[in-house]
Amino acid sequence: MDPVYHALSLYKKRCFEECVSTCTELLDKNPFDQAVWILKMKALTEQLYVDDLEAEEEGIAEAFMDNETIAESARPGTSLKNPGTSQGGSTQGYRPWTQTGRPVSGVVRPGTQTARPGTMEQALRTPRTSKTARPSTSQSARTIRLGTASMLSEPGGPFIQLSRINLGNYASKPALAKPLFLYILYHENNIRHALQLAVLATQACEFKDWWWKVQLGKCYYSLGLMRESEQQFRSALRQHQCVETFLRLGRVYIRLDQPLSALDVCRTGLEYFPKEVTLLTEIARIFEGLNNMMMSVKYYREIVTEDSTNVEAIACIGMHHFYTDQPEMALRFYRRLLQMGLYNAELFNNLGLCCFYAQQYDMTLSCFQHALSLAKDDDVADIWYNIGLIAIGVGDTRLAGQCLRLAISSDSAHAPAYNNLGVLELRKGRLNEARAFFQAAASLAPYLFEPYFNHSALSHKMGDLQASYIVIQKALEAYPNHIPSQELLRALEKHFTVI
Amino acid sequence: MNSSRSEYSNGIPARSVPKSRQETSSKAPELNAIEGRNWLIHRHFTRKEFGICKILIQEELERTRGKQEFANYIQGLILRHEGKIQESLECFQICHSLHPKNVDYIKQVARSLFLLGLHNLALEAYLDAQQISEVPDWDIFYNLGECWLRLGEHTKAKESLRQAVQLGHHERCYVALASIYKLEGDTQSAIEIYKAAVESAPDSAQLATALGLLYLEEGKYQHALEKLGGALARDPQYAQALLAAGAMMQNHSDYDVALSKYKIAAQSWPESPALWNNVGMCFYGKKKYVASLSCLKRAHYLSPLDWDILFNLGLVHMATQQYASAFHFLSAATNLRPAHAGTFLLVAISLRHLDDPDNASEAFKQASLLAPLDASIPLNYAVFLESQGDLDGAALQLERFQELAQVTPRLSPELVQTATQLSKLLSNRLRSRNGSKTDENEMSSKSKLAIEVEAQVRVRNHPVDSSPEGETPNSMADDEV
Repeated sequence: MDPVYHALSLYKKRCFEECVSTCTELLDKNPFDQAVWILKMKALTEQLYVDDLEAEEEGIAEAFMDNETIAESARPGTSLKNPGTSQGGSTQGYRPWTQTGRPVSGVVRPGTQTARPGTMEQALRTPRTSKTARPSTSQSARTIRLGTASMLSEPGGPFIQLSRINLGNYASKPALAKPLFLYILYHENNIRHALQLAVLATQACEFKDWWWKVQLGKCYYSLGLMRESEQQFRSALRQHQCVETFLRLGRVYIRLDQPLSALDVCRTGLEYFPKEVTLLTEIARIFEGLNNMMMSVKYYREIVTEDSTNVEAIACIGMHHFYTDQPEMALRFYRRLLQMGLYNAELFNNLGLCCFYAQQYDMTLSCFQHALSLAKDDDVADIWYNIGLIAIGVGDTRLAGQCLRLAISSDSAHAPAYNNLGVLELRKGRLNEARAFFQAAASLAPYLFEPYFNHSALSHKMGDLQASYIVIQKALEAYPNHIPSQELLRALEKHFTVI
Repeated sequence: MNSSRSEYSNGIPARSVPKSRQETSSKAPELNAIEGRNWLIHRHFTRKEFGICKILIQEELERTRGKQEFANYIQGLILRHEGKIQESLECFQICHSLHPKNVDYIKQVARSLFLLGLHNLALEAYLDAQQISEVPDWDIFYNLGECWLRLGEHTKAKESLRQAVQLGHHERCYVALASIYKLEGDTQSAIEIYKAAVESAPDSAQLATALGLLYLEEGKYQHALEKLGGALARDPQYAQALLAAGAMMQNHSDYDVALSKYKIAAQSWPESPALWNNVGMCFYGKKKYVASLSCLKRAHYLSPLDWDILFNLGLVHMATQQYASAFHFLSAATNLRPAHAGTFLLVAISLRHLDDPDNASEAFKQASLLAPLDASIPLNYAVFLESQGDLDGAALQLERFQELAQVTPRLSPELVQTATQLSKLLSNRLRSRNGSKTDENEMSSKSKLAIEVEAQVRVRNHPVDSSPEGETPNSMADDEV
């Protein structure tokens, strides 16, 4: 068999390693065989290719050294940075908020874990645990991995010496330039060189190829040049409409914290590609980020009618029903996920909670048993915490205390568990223990308002007005619309501001 | 605030500290008056421009080596505003050492001690202030009262507060005095105090609401309604008054009006468990059980440790004949509050429907043990025993009911009717020993309503909120790439 044909077939069968070694042999024999050279390049790229649309994460650097922000304090409902301001969204009283300062989402995805916290200090303090994979550098964790992979790749030096290559030569040959660009971007992860090549290539084809414009936009985007990248994507869209370009343009606006423009872009995309699931998902996610759950769920529902096995959509709709007092509906959605073959601790945990609130008591405990047997280390605490809640729900405070202690023993930084333990101690009349628990919870999770409020109310009762006054202000920082906190502050202010 | 206010009122010391004046004039004539920039500090302070204020104070203190009274005083106030009581106490102490005869400084020192929770020391300081002050000051008396109260000396507290009330008609004094009476259970005196308070401050919605609530406790519904209406006229959004007024309407089975009140309250306080509980019971009164259940469940979600809500949930489930669910909620309620007879009565009835006569009878016994004077318990027990065929036991319980019925005022006519029916039936059956079963149990759950409504009327201010419920952890990690 012709070895080139063999290599090609290996590439098609996605046996990239074999393909690369065959190509290397061929290139040893004839170093100027362009076809083989391209094939090897493509195979190497394909090995490391990731869907960088889904791998998006915003680092601390982007969040703070951000000079693109238009308004310091955006109008309510027009910014992703303070989801609490939107009208008609869910409040912390009903739907708990995560470490990142936004309501819990139905699925874990990169966007739901990156925080946009108010201050640098807060961002740095947020521990980088398994639950908050927040990169502190500007490049995401994934792209860093790509860079290191390329360094290891070959013992006899790298496949292509980027510094020696004459990019101008290749730029004018479209068949060569495109794979080379992808290779530089994904395998070498050298954005500067990739950008050079893209600039030259787009000049060579007299700005007529939309593909190069999209790639230029991608490069500018990862270099943080948002406005330039927006220009490139817009220009590409004028020539050719493509789902990916719409999504990328939307991402530019999200990075610029202009969610409404991003929504506009996605809606324009939907005019060209009606009912396109990725665009619908993007819209639903943006609405969720804006804390507009009604709209978000509306789009997720559209997704489900198009793609009835979309895990993200089903999970988000289920979660929405759970937190709007319809546990029975939520149960149906989660059961659907179970039927689709998902089998993990989170799902059983949610099923258990839904069963409890839908009063199917016989199912509740068995669901939690399943959840516990499937749970990985970082989920166990949450599951014990939820079992503790069930125990509180049936009035068994001793069991609740034990479950919460188990939660803490498996995750010593589980703030809600500390808080609830404090409430239980308070019921027993042990005020000092209760206060210690509240303090622990508050120091672990400054995003929760409950420990602050409980601590403050307790201090107020015990006569320590100074502590109460300081702490209640923090509670209101975490949740400005909490009425009992506001009332307590008003009562305390009388003591503090009267001359 | 009082005497000293005039001294600083426009920052220009009209007749301020004479001592420093003499010093400045005798020593260095080119030196500006020590209080020369007080007006500026005062101006910034009154505008709440604390940042500038602090810089100015810093300069002044450096210039005078910390001997500037006014600057220290204002710094103390600013620090207190920021919640740094310990530091502000130090500032006031400097003021006090600079000018030991000024009552104001002693009062501020005492106030700082009070805010720090050192009530003993605060009390002493206030007593000093009282001795130094030439005219009796309501503020000192008020704070003395507060200190005594925190130290547990109610009689002394009352005395001080009474004097405070006489000296100046201030809302705070009235509220503090009334709260002591309430603590002691003397509602009548508390009402009198609030009456006087409302007269002196007729514009306060809070005072009127508090008075209305007290009337409600006393059972004077007409007066209560009047006061709550007055409060709502002044502040139509005041959630507490709305809730109380709604609860009263509900008591009189005027559910639509009550719901309209709750609707307004829900806009300002959508997360109040008490509110959702009351809304749920309104729907229950209107026989809309599904709506009632979902409201009560929301209340339960918001406050899972509240036995009232669990009790109501049990009651509504009984009405929808879901006895198993009812039993779960009721047993949770008994766990949280084991001393409430009504809950045990309901547990007993639900157990009877779940075909567990042994435990049902235990629950009946427990209920009658907890509330030996409640007439409805022996009657329900009698109905139960009769249905079990224990006619002698039933007759005994019926006798007890009749004994209690004579003592109990305002007995529900339903109970009496049930009792007469039962006694007829019993006498028939005792005669023939084979009568037909009657279906009297509906009555029993209805008769519970009397207790129930009392339970829900209380407008509850949850002092400590119990945390995020139903927090689902990050569910469904979807796998990407």
